[in-house]
Amino acid sequence: MVQGVPAIGVMTELIQLCALYGAVEEYRPLDEYPAEDFTEVYLVKFQKLTSARAAKRRMDEKSFYGGVLHVCYVPEYESVEDTRSKLLDRRRYIMRAAQNKVREREQKETGNEEPTTSKTATTSEKIISRRDRMTNNDNRGENSNFSHYSGFPLLPLPPQEHPYYGHKTQHGTIPTEDKMGTLHNAIINTKQQPAQGLSFSQTSSDRESGTEQRLTPNPASVVRFVPRTTNLENRKRKKEDVPEDTHTDVSGKSEPLIGPKLPEPPKLDMEDESLNTTVSLIRSTMKQVGSVPDIKPVEKKIKPRRRI
Amino acid sequence: MWRKSSEGSDRFEYLQTLVTEFQDTDCEEAKEQVLANLANFAYDPTNMEHLRQLQVTDLFLDMLTEDNENFVEFGMGGLCNLSMDPECRELILQSGGIRLVTDCLSSQREETVLSAITTLMNLAAAPSPRSSHITDPAVLQCMLRFSLSESPRLRNLATVFLRDCCGEEQVARAERQMQGQQSAVGIPLPKDG
Repeated sequence: MVQGVPAIGVMTELIQLCALYGAVEEYRPLDEYPAEDFTEVYLVKFQKLTSARAAKRRMDEKSFYGGVLHVCYVPEYESVEDTRSKLLDRRRYIMRAAQNKVREREQKETGNEEPTTSKTATTSEKIISRRDRMTNNDNRGENSNFSHYSGFPLLPLPPQEHPYYGHKTQHGTIPTEDKMGTLHNAIINTKQQPAQGLSFSQTSSDRESGTEQRLTPNPASVVRFVPRTTNLENRKRKKEDVPEDTHTDVSGKSEPLIGPKLPEPPKLDMEDESLNTTVSLIRSTMKQVGSVPDIKPVEKKIKPRRRI
Repeated sequence: MWRKSSEGSDRFEYLQTLVTEFQDTDCEEAKEQVLANLANFAYDPTNMEHLRQLQVTDLFLDMLTEDNENFVEFGMGGLCNLSMDPECRELILQSGGIRLVTDCLSSQREETVLSAITTLMNLAAAPSPRSSHITDPAVLQCMLRFSLSESPRLRNLATVFLRDCCGEEQVARAERQMQGQQSAVGIPLPKDG
């Protein structure tokens, strides 16, 4: 979707611009969409998802005939088939990437004892051998640091902030550019507040530079991530019970429904006592809420969200 | 844009830093931001293995039962991404992931629900016997209701789920069962009803 197109009859020019990024399958003005004065909104559908991504990346926030374009995805305009092929493409892409990785490893391996599809490596030994393979893939000289595993300290050195690291304030949006769909871009939009207050903002700037030379020669493999044990332990215990007990109430008919109710008014028996229960509950909650002084609402920190 | 470097060890270390940050910080906002970053990083297949090694799969699963709705949304998003990877998929299934994810179908947040549906679709593709529970009648009925939703995204995803993850007979059966319950959506009827 392209917003901010000056209403001066430049639809053709807009589509020509879009066509630079790939074949346009269809387009139309979106009269139903709110638009600022003297601007128009267009829906542009590309034949290929990659074209759409390129167009969004290149055209968003660019000036166009005196106005500034705002380009974002609109998954709500997808058809079922569009959604399906999007997901299938994504799955195929992942499979291909996984196969490439396996192939890469197999090429480097020389009678390696470790299976390439080993599951979560829970021993440092396994992690080390994997890293061995990784470093073998690299032809760069600076990796000589990684080949010595004899003694590693418990913690990696704190990430160095190098002068040549580019620093974009919108670093959070970078991964979204790779997304084939919009399922997760909403996350980042709220996170564009200045990250200076947070200690890791420096590390995140590492990502911008493709040639980062991390001066952390110590393999971090020995530092294990220890997750919060509470839920993890519970779940590990439940692992054995999973086939039996967790699904009895899922399949129960009179048990709580999965999923929220439909938006259309449900057909209710207005005489039902349980309705009163709900109402009294709501009323008492409202009373409680009303009596509490304004708590800092969650929405406070979320600025008017720009669709990305 | 971060070039897909072949420096796997750098990636691993960086991701580990993030994970450590998440564990160490007490500030909820900071946690949210790290979690969002991790969830987004999970989109890139080159990171999936590292995240798996760092037990981030479990981390995301942990988030699904949090009170903070942002935690749930981002955790669910991360799982949605990771569940595309067969090995992560298996881990999720082993850790009772189906139940945790189907619970997210009740979330008030559309993004959470969308991620949950997509995750279920990914899990259903697993050859594991556990994945058969994904097409339990209750889940199908939920998807049937979603397929009638006002939200196009919800409608589309639910429709794809029903078409691709279930047999026609399963869906028909669920539809029949649903018709018997139409008069009291989510509200128990009195005994003599």
